[in-house]
This record gives sequence, C-alpha cells and structure tokens, in this order.
Amino acid sequence: MKPNDLIEHGFVWLDNQAGESARLLARLISRRSFLGRLGAMFVGAAVLPLLPVARSLAQEPPQEVGDTQNCDYWRYCALGGTLCACCGGTLTSCPPGAELSPITWVGTCHNPADDRNYLISYNDCCGKTTCNRCGCHSTEREKPVYFPSKASNVLWCFGTESRTYHCTVAGILGETADLGK
Amino acid sequence: MLLFAIPFAYADPKVDYLLHCSGCHLPDGSGLAPVVPTLHDVIGRLVAEPGGRSYIVRVPGVSQAPINDEKLTEVINWMLTEFSSDTLPENFKPFTAKEVSRARSQLLADPLKYRAELFPDY
Repeated sequence: MKPNDLIEHGFVWLDNQAGESARLLARLISRRSFLGRLGAMFVGAAVLPLLPVARSLAQEPPQEVGDTQNCDYWRYCALGGTLCACCGGTLTSCPPGAELSPITWVGTCHNPADDRNYLISYNDCCGKTTCNRCGCHSTEREKPVYFPSKASNVLWCFGTESRTYHCTVAGILGETADLGK
Repeated sequence: MLLFAIPFAYADPKVDYLLHCSGCHLPDGSGLAPVVPTLHDVIGRLVAEPGGRSYIVRVPGVSQAPINDEKLTEVINWMLTEFSSDTLPENFKPFTAKEVSRARSQLLADPLKYRAELFPDY
C-alpha cells in the first residue's frame, strides 16, 4: 500500500469510528436531555456570582419595590425616554439586538424601600428603531439641554456602532448620602 | 453586567466624580478613545507641563462641572491620585481651591486646538 493510500485508509477508518460514536451517543442521550444539561450549565454560570465568595466582597443590593415597567419606578426619577424593561430588555439590560452605550449621564434617585439615595446611570440602548412602549419623562435633578451633560432628553448613543436610539436602562452606580450639598 | 455591579456607599469626592464625570470618562476613568480621553496616567504627566495645571482645570468638563470650587478641587486631587498616581511628579502639590477658582474662570474657547498647540505629545 502506498503512503497516500495508507493515510486515506486511516481517514476512512476514523470517519467510521466517529460516525459510530455519534450514533451511539445520539441513542443514549435524547435531545431534550442535552438541552436540559446545557440549560443547567447556563443557570450555574448565572448563579456563580451569588455564591458566598463573591457576596462577601460586596454589599447586598438595595431592597426595591415597584414595577420596573412603570415610569413611577424609583430608579426612573430622571429618565427621559422609553423603558427597556417594556421593550424586551430589563431594568439593566438591553433588548436583544440593541447595543448598550457606555457613555451616559448619571443622576440620583431616592429609593423609598430603604430611604437611601443612589447614583443612577441612564444608559441608552442603541442600534434599533425607537421602541414605542413605556415612554417616560421624569426630570428630578436633571437640567435643560443647555446643560447637555445633565439632560435626560439628550440621546446618549455615544461609543456605539449606531446612533439610533431604542430605549434606556437604569443601573445603580453606588449609594450616596451626600445629595443636596 | 459589571457596569451595574452591586452598589457601594461612596463618600465625597468619589460621589462627585461618579455624578459629574463618570458618565463620559466611565466609573474607572478609562474613557472611550478617541471620543473621551482616558484619565489614566496622562493627567499625572500633564500637571508637570508648563500650563498643564491650569489646563486640566480649564477643560469644559471640569470648569463647567456644577459644583463649587472647594468640591471641584477635591475631585481634581482625587482623580490625580486615583487614576494617575504613577505618573504624578514627585514634588506634586495638591491643587488649592484658590488655584482652581482662578483657572476655571479663564474660558478655554477651543480646548482641542489649545491642547494640540501646547501639548502636542498628548
């Protein structure tokens, strides 16, 4: 047998073995079982940051009450725009297909659940046409557009691939007791 | 995501930094080149340049921050040590409120042009 034939023969053997193994695996493990295991892996990854080691390095998140799909929700006290929580995203994450703008403006809101004040980052999600659900115009401690760095009505799609505004999220940067100084 | 990690209670001047500066320069001061300059290392070197001390007070984001001279001075000194301690000159003297007050009153009409002329290496 020539060297090339030998290699060819080897590959055919490998193909057969791999095919046989795959068929055996498919018989032993159902598709649903595979998806279940895959799902468990993702859930596991999501739970990891909450394990005791990570939690001991950080404080507890604030207690919160209210409906994140309502303009009256406490974190939205200075949000001008549409709520990502109503548009397929959440309080702090963009809907699929929209990109979170890293550049933003930061305001402050009072959390009625723990009677503390928090720094709120109003990041826009960009790259999709404007979501038409849950339009809010709350203005606590924001400034008119002549002071753009504190204006909630400015579109904050900076540093993103697209400047098209879709909706806004409201993340907590930290807690402050120094408001009003 | 990390941007919205578990909150901590911050005290001045970090609160003022987060409130008035971090929207563009980001909470860790890294900025977003080329739109937003980083605060890491470069501002420590700038204060050693002739005209550099007043320049970092006169840039619009600093001079127009809606806080008084004393609080602004605290934020500037905090940023320098927090983000640029490795490049601060050994004989660095912290800013005083008087120095900040004087510098922020001098309008910097064209910051990019001024920067290119005065600090071509930055």
